Amino acid sequence: MDNKTLADQLVKRCLKKGADAAEVYLESNRQLSIEIRNGQIETVQEAASAGAGVRVLIGGRLAFASVNDLRDAALDDAIGRAVGFARITTADPDNVLPDDPTTVDVAGLYDPAIAATPLDQKIAMIMTAEKEAMKDPRITKSAGAAYGEGESEVVIANSTGLLKTSKASGCNFGVSVVAEKGEQKSSGGEYCGRRFFADLKTPAEVAAKAARKAYETLDPKPVKTQKAAVIFDTDVADTLLAGILGAIDGESVLQGASFLGGKLDLKIASELLTVIDDGLRPKGPASAPFDGEGVTTQTRVIIDKGVLKGFLYNTIIGKKAGVKSTGNASRGGFTGLPGIGSHNFTMSAGTVKPEDIIKATKKGLLLKEVTGYGINPVNGQFSGGASGFWIENGKIAFPVRGLTIAGSADEMFNGIDMVADDADLNRGLAAPTFRIKLMQIGGE
Amino acid sequence: MNYQILDGDIPRRKFLELGFKGSLAVAATPALIAQLLSCAPKGGGKSPIAADPGLLDKVILKALAQGGEFGEVYLENRISRTILLEEGKFKSAVFGLSQGAGVRVISGDKTGYAYTDEISEEKLLRAAEVAGTIAKGAGKTTEAAAVKAKTLPSFVTVNIPLADVADEKRLDVMQRAHQAALDYDKRIKMASINYYDEVRGRTIANSEGLLLTDELPLLFFIVQTLGTGNGTSHMGRERLSAHAGFEMFDGGAAEQAAKNCARESIVMLEAKDAPAGKLDVVMQNGWGGVLVHEAVGHPLEADNIAKKIGVFTGKLGQKVAAPVFTMVDDGSLPNFRGTTNFDDEGTPMKRNVLIQEGVLLKYMSDVLSAKQLGMERTGNGRRESFQYLPIPRMTNTFIEKGKDKPADILASTKSGIYVQSLSGGSVNPVDGVFNFTCREAYLIEDGKKTVPVKGATLIGNCLEVIQNIDAVGDDLEFGPGICGKGQSAEVSAGQPTVRIRGINVGGTRAGR
Repeated sequence: MDNKTLADQLVKRCLKKGADAAEVYLESNRQLSIEIRNGQIETVQEAASAGAGVRVLIGGRLAFASVNDLRDAALDDAIGRAVGFARITTADPDNVLPDDPTTVDVAGLYDPAIAATPLDQKIAMIMTAEKEAMKDPRITKSAGAAYGEGESEVVIANSTGLLKTSKASGCNFGVSVVAEKGEQKSSGGEYCGRRFFADLKTPAEVAAKAARKAYETLDPKPVKTQKAAVIFDTDVADTLLAGILGAIDGESVLQGASFLGGKLDLKIASELLTVIDDGLRPKGPASAPFDGEGVTTQTRVIIDKGVLKGFLYNTIIGKKAGVKSTGNASRGGFTGLPGIGSHNFTMSAGTVKPEDIIKATKKGLLLKEVTGYGINPVNGQFSGGASGFWIENGKIAFPVRGLTIAGSADEMFNGIDMVADDADLNRGLAAPTFRIKLMQIGGE
Repeated sequence: MNYQILDGDIPRRKFLELGFKGSLAVAATPALIAQLLSCAPKGGGKSPIAADPGLLDKVILKALAQGGEFGEVYLENRISRTILLEEGKFKSAVFGLSQGAGVRVISGDKTGYAYTDEISEEKLLRAAEVAGTIAKGAGKTTEAAAVKAKTLPSFVTVNIPLADVADEKRLDVMQRAHQAALDYDKRIKMASINYYDEVRGRTIANSEGLLLTDELPLLFFIVQTLGTGNGTSHMGRERLSAHAGFEMFDGGAAEQAAKNCARESIVMLEAKDAPAGKLDVVMQNGWGGVLVHEAVGHPLEADNIAKKIGVFTGKLGQKVAAPVFTMVDDGSLPNFRGTTNFDDEGTPMKRNVLIQEGVLLKYMSDVLSAKQLGMERTGNGRRESFQYLPIPRMTNTFIEKGKDKPADILASTKSGIYVQSLSGGSVNPVDGVFNFTCREAYLIEDGKKTVPVKGATLIGNCLEVIQNIDAVGDDLEFGPGICGKGQSAEVSAGQPTVRIRGINVGGTRAGR
């Protein structure tokens, strides 16, 4: 029996066991990972697994069970547990399952060439990456190189008649090295992930960036505590996007736990800020034809030239808010209930070059790494650890490390005054290099 | 490269992912495999064959057939419940069932690993074959010793087994916490209670003849409250966690956690901008142990030491910290969140003094790094589930108590920040730069805790920070958390009240 038939049958079994409505989420996947270091294989891991998540509604009461075994008795057990567990939850008329017969094709989500490529070729690729990264004399140690791939097949069926399936794959590799100088140690790593094997960058390109990240931050100098411009490199652009994402979660908005809650159709940011959530982009790392509960995905403008245009909803939270699901039910796998999440969440590119932004900055921080929790989705406060380069008179002056940066989301969003044209769209959260006019920087 | 620790302060969805990732099992009664059967009464469950020493020997033999010097089989099952009470409703109830096995082969510095979620002779042998290919051509085979069951002392005592607890009891504890939070102050607009429990069974067998089986319960109870007022909002968080039975909730522990959480939500509504720049910091006892977990704990895990890239590489026996600083990792503290009877490679848990009075004594190892470094196995080989290789991880990590009185530490600090609780932190184990983020903090003015300040990130270098700790209190306390290092692990972090001189604070106004 194929998984589609199985899912359909399981929905019926749930109804027979007492559920008013039911959803079955089946996932099967295969993974491979290889790690090497100093030209030697360190680990090879290989596995295939599968599981089912069963969501049931009984009189508006919701429960869920998952099991990583698709044999009959195990599935029966899971259904029984879910139905039994629904006894304890609270009835809620907003607890409904999506009814969405629409479908859409998203190109470029599955590449059979990944599995077909011989293991030796994958090993050779990361061996080359490590060798290339170690070429520079400033690089003293390898922290290892790794290759990973996975593919998965998802089937969603529910009692409204929804029955959808999709198949996706991905592969990635990366290398991490250490530069040493006296007592100083500095690590640098870079990776590349793609839907298709043939789209991966060359090992030399990835290696060169990893090495550069390690050595170019040696000999950092201190700077004084001050206010200055902060230029966000594409590597840290997700700081801003993750902050927006946390605050446009439809459930947080309903609960009054979002700093963007009351701001729909209001100007919340500089006109240079446009943010799109796109589930449909061909080969997109977060593209999918349907979301975690089977609702067809879409392309939506979230922030249009600084104006907040929408929040993200799944079916239940959408019903509570009186709107339709936006196709943003997220699912971390078969083991949990759908939450709310984005697809390819990107900040639109500007027109200037990243170099132009540096040139236009009299004094400031070129931010390459941010640590900490990011923007607090409840109140918009931001504070983080920072490292990168100090800019003086339009030029990179020296590396900096161990700084802090802080501000409020409001100041940050409105402070964006330059946006470059260089976003890397192969990341789930992607933004071009941009500058925030003024932020508090903590140093000496 | 960044390793992090969290108090659960991640979107709920993410938390569920972390909590559930591929690893929940079938069964609630003793003895691993017998349970599997008892919970799948229709006969479709797993075969009891897996626990049979004869089969385990066969799998290990197969794993080492192509070479290699260490073969291991790890069997796991897990059953879990997650219940969410939020906005006055029991919104969801989630059951997780999982089981599976991983087979590992070590050959020199190489490791092969394969797992299967079906525990059958055929699948185990297949996993053994896949894992064993790593050793191909190594030309070295090892004679595996026949496995022999043994029993180790237990550090987890259970009075009220989770399997005996009616769901109504769980709901009742949640309900009481929810009410206590809302009753605390009318500015508490929402309370969210997340209840998680699991029972995890393990069987570990290896080519050294080891065969161990146990089953441990785990509880994780997270309260979140939203305070709104004064033109802002603050989401508070408080947690309870232990490897224990339902007695963890005795004495009104859930209500107390809820009140503490609500108190934080209200206090922080008055928070002022935090200062920026280098300041003295006093950290209250408890979960502040995140500092030592991040700043020193991760860098002392032996995997990066064996790779010679860790910041403490080559520093064994050297003075690395202030003389007041003693740091311990102890997986045998009774019933703690980071406690187990033996690690996920079968090494018994014990107290490991890592830094004594400033001198580095020990790294935390797993089987592989211990072999590579020629050091003892410390009981730190842990894995999130059968889907993961074991790697060196912390258990319950803390700064040992000192002699100072907490009140004196505060009083003798002229100005700075008093950190009452933290969210979490992260560290780069190579360069040693770490950070942690305040959840509740206050200004220190003239030796007194004054106004609350907004959540700031603090950042420093590990080698500097442990030399700049100049006061250690006598009030050691712990907090529970989730540690992330490519896979998640349940840990505790602890410390007495400590003072650190000169650490960079990420505030929004010019310092001092």
